[in-house]
Amino acid sequence: MAFLAHGARRIRYELDGPKDGPTYVLVNGLTQYADLWAAYRDMLIGRRFRVATFDLLGQGASDKPELFISQADQVEALHLLIGEIGDGPIFLGGISFGALIALKYAIEHGDRLTGLVPMSAFAELSPQLLLLGNALRSGLILGGTTYLQDLLLPMNLSDAWLKPLLGNLEAVKRQGWLINDVYALQNLMESFLDFQPLTPLLPSIKTPTMILNGEFDFLTPRALHETLRLGIPDSSLVIIPNAYHAFTLEKAALTADLLSRFAEDVLAKRWRGGKAVWIAPDEPGGAMIPFPAGYDHLRAIPIRKAAS
Amino acid sequence: MSQFLGPLDSLGRVPPLQQTRVAAFLISAHGALARQLAFALPGQFDAGWQTELNAQLYRATETVSLLIRATAWTPDFSLPTLMWSWEAAWLPKVPAGVNDQRVGMTIDIAAFGHALHGAIRPAALLPVEAAAADPFVVALRRIEFESSRLIQAEIRFLKSDDLSSLREAVSAAVEQRHRQVGTLWADLLAGIGIQRDTERGRSDP
Repeated sequence: MAFLAHGARRIRYELDGPKDGPTYVLVNGLTQYADLWAAYRDMLIGRRFRVATFDLLGQGASDKPELFISQADQVEALHLLIGEIGDGPIFLGGISFGALIALKYAIEHGDRLTGLVPMSAFAELSPQLLLLGNALRSGLILGGTTYLQDLLLPMNLSDAWLKPLLGNLEAVKRQGWLINDVYALQNLMESFLDFQPLTPLLPSIKTPTMILNGEFDFLTPRALHETLRLGIPDSSLVIIPNAYHAFTLEKAALTADLLSRFAEDVLAKRWRGGKAVWIAPDEPGGAMIPFPAGYDHLRAIPIRKAAS
Repeated sequence: MSQFLGPLDSLGRVPPLQQTRVAAFLISAHGALARQLAFALPGQFDAGWQTELNAQLYRATETVSLLIRATAWTPDFSLPTLMWSWEAAWLPKVPAGVNDQRVGMTIDIAAFGHALHGAIRPAALLPVEAAAADPFVVALRRIEFESSRLIQAEIRFLKSDDLSSLREAVSAAVEQRHRQVGTLWADLLAGIGIQRDTERGRSDP
């Protein structure tokens, strides 16, 4: 295990792959830990990327500040990690809470990034997301990590993924339960108490940005990703078919393939954001499909866009 | 060194020496917290969070009572020495930077409670094969489950606006208690053949 020092705090990280390759830095969601990116590490290294993963402050094997964790500290920890990597191209991806930290990083240190991939992301707390967040925090307080996991699993993963695991869910939850502490998760959640929307700052992100959103994401639905698409100038929105909020777990091969293709396109100067909306293929390597012209990608039924 | 209690017997029970050491540690710590709360709580409450600490006093007492009855005790001649070192560690002390003696004591008790409920994860020591209906196993799970609720009293108090001017001193006091409790817990576990990555990480400089 390697550690970075952020003041008196230690950040556990892992950096693998060819030193001369472009680097993907991947940022965990709130209840996750770095090892959940293992499939991405293997696949991206196989395509000559270097891969950096780490536990945020309060997660996994990183230090867990006892009372307060600010999101600014998380951005600073990420900055330290990126500082370790060197001068080569850096692509930054993050899921959910990690996407928020990645967005903040891109706003503050965008010149250090070659590409940005917010996944299951949000730049502001809609009333639904605020209330869901409050309810999840209450669930954590009243029922511990296990109950929080019980809420998140059916909300964030598909029937197809859950069904074969129904008899074995305790084993699925166990590592996350072992590695996460209630007070630390609560501190991460409470880092939103003074949260200010990033929406007005999004136009300052000049980095090529691929926004990934699960078709059926309930926790952070399409409208929250639309804020990013409209705000970030060189962006495109890619909808992952049949996917929920935690598609990075459920569709790792497809998502890793999309990350790789995005970075290759940016490096080859083929990337065109154009605030376009795409539908990802069902399988890795498949063709990206433009969202049908004239139809409203914010709707769940095929409604034509109102004439502007 | 293992990460979990065991090896379990054929009925999925934790070895008696491990039960004895873990239970003795938890009884010492929760008993100390109960005593400190009993002395610290005023006869008449003047703040809402004091009701939480009152509940905690009785939960800590319940934990002691539960472990006395649920543990398969075995003679352990190292316990007297260990108990003395634990009891000395739990003694309350006013954190540096806090001038008001009463406030300082309350901060330290809350910091101790935060460490005890936050850093000590007894159920996380249980291997998946542990007998679900064994009293000691149930007791460890119950103590950990209750801890996530009990710690709310400390969190509310330690993060309260009343202490905002003392934030650095409060944070340092909590951090110090976490380090102390975590180190003693890691030492105890090492003595019964257990080393957990998280505890090892915490006790590293």
